[in-house]
Amino acid sequence: MKFVLSLICLIPVSAWGDGHGPAFAYSTATLGSGDASFETAFMWRSGSIMFGPRVSYGIRQNLQISFAAPFDITHGDHPTGRFDAMMPGNPEAEVLLGWRFYHAAPGISTRNEATIYAGASALTQHVPRDDGPPLQRQPGMYVALAAGRVARSYDIWAGAGYQRYGQLESGLHDHQSNTFLSSFAVGWRPPVLNKDYPKPDLRFFWETTGEVVGLARRAPLPPEAGGKGGGHGHVVPPVFLLQSLNRIVYLRNSGGRDVFSGPSVLCTYRSLAFQGGVLFALLDQPNGRQQQEDVRVVVGVTYYLLGRRK
Amino acid sequence: MTFSWRALSRSLALSGLLFGVEPLHAEYLKIELRVYGLDCGLCARGVAASVQRLAGVKSVDVSLKNGLLEIVLERGNTFKMSDLRRRIRENGFRSMEATITAVGVLNGPSKFEVTGSGESYYVDKPDAKGVGPLELTFQVK
Repeated sequence: MKFVLSLICLIPVSAWGDGHGPAFAYSTATLGSGDASFETAFMWRSGSIMFGPRVSYGIRQNLQISFAAPFDITHGDHPTGRFDAMMPGNPEAEVLLGWRFYHAAPGISTRNEATIYAGASALTQHVPRDDGPPLQRQPGMYVALAAGRVARSYDIWAGAGYQRYGQLESGLHDHQSNTFLSSFAVGWRPPVLNKDYPKPDLRFFWETTGEVVGLARRAPLPPEAGGKGGGHGHVVPPVFLLQSLNRIVYLRNSGGRDVFSGPSVLCTYRSLAFQGGVLFALLDQPNGRQQQEDVRVVVGVTYYLLGRRK
Repeated sequence: MTFSWRALSRSLALSGLLFGVEPLHAEYLKIELRVYGLDCGLCARGVAASVQRLAGVKSVDVSLKNGLLEIVLERGNTFKMSDLRRRIRENGFRSMEATITAVGVLNGPSKFEVTGSGESYYVDKPDAKGVGPLELTFQVK
């Protein structure tokens, strides 16, 4: 048994979600006042690989700030929503503020919590597209709400969030897909693994995420290409476009809906958290001719600086 | 104005008294504190590391199963129970009842003042006499 536990703990995976919760789903901010965490993780989703570093700091016990800057190693042709609750799915630099506005500890090892997140982001890489040049980079904003109950034997988490990309000049510039993400996760620590500190702490989760990714939009076509002009107006073959009555050009091969579900595991030991998970597609309806996703995988490791406040 | 060796020596002696006097040290010796909300190893580690940094703390043991912090303190520390509870709160947890072993004096039939800490507790020790410092173990909520 010890060998199996050690093996699981050695898998290079991480707390990709915030600290020590589910890997993909929403959870609440957990850093204490003055605590910090440094996370690195690889995400794999049907043809694309992202690497994501993330730094978090507990300003107060109920207020946490994070900075994440995931980037593409290889890019696939699928809807680019958020990869998980706490990390953008696009190559972006994101600052995220989490306020744990509700916090109660009704018993030993038990907490009920709720956190609201608000963030701002900016794309850092041009994402290649099959239907033309990459979309222009635009700033984004993100709001989310997460709530849950944690205990020694089980966890329950639920949450939802919305990411919206802005436009520097309304209607004249490209627009990335807006994303709505919701999630539900249950965690379980089998009695045989319910060891006391400082032994390794192992938990299993079953996570389900649902995502609705909107259509991306290009700047209107220039007059010489049959459009009204404005923006940087890339010429795109009409087969890729959906043109609304007000001449806004939506990209047919963008956005979609999906529901993923699967297991993840979290092992914490000393100042380290190792986490990994696999989600399988229950529903995957990408718009147009985009690539289907069957599976999403995340692995990584987090290092914590705890109890540093004097 | 005349110079006086006697006045100078008096001034120096007075200064020595003013600046050389050390504050009274608290005499908390051991604390077992119930903490609600600790659910994983990282929570325990964060609390242990945080409490360990409080002045005078010799060792900290955490039991997740019992939600219990066992803190052993050095003699002559400057520890305050209020600092400990604040530290627990800063980590996002809830401090509850505690079993304290401390040296102090009884002021009245049941008020126990922990030496040097400025903190006092009402204890149920009818057999203890209020003469001189004594070591007591008592529970507080």
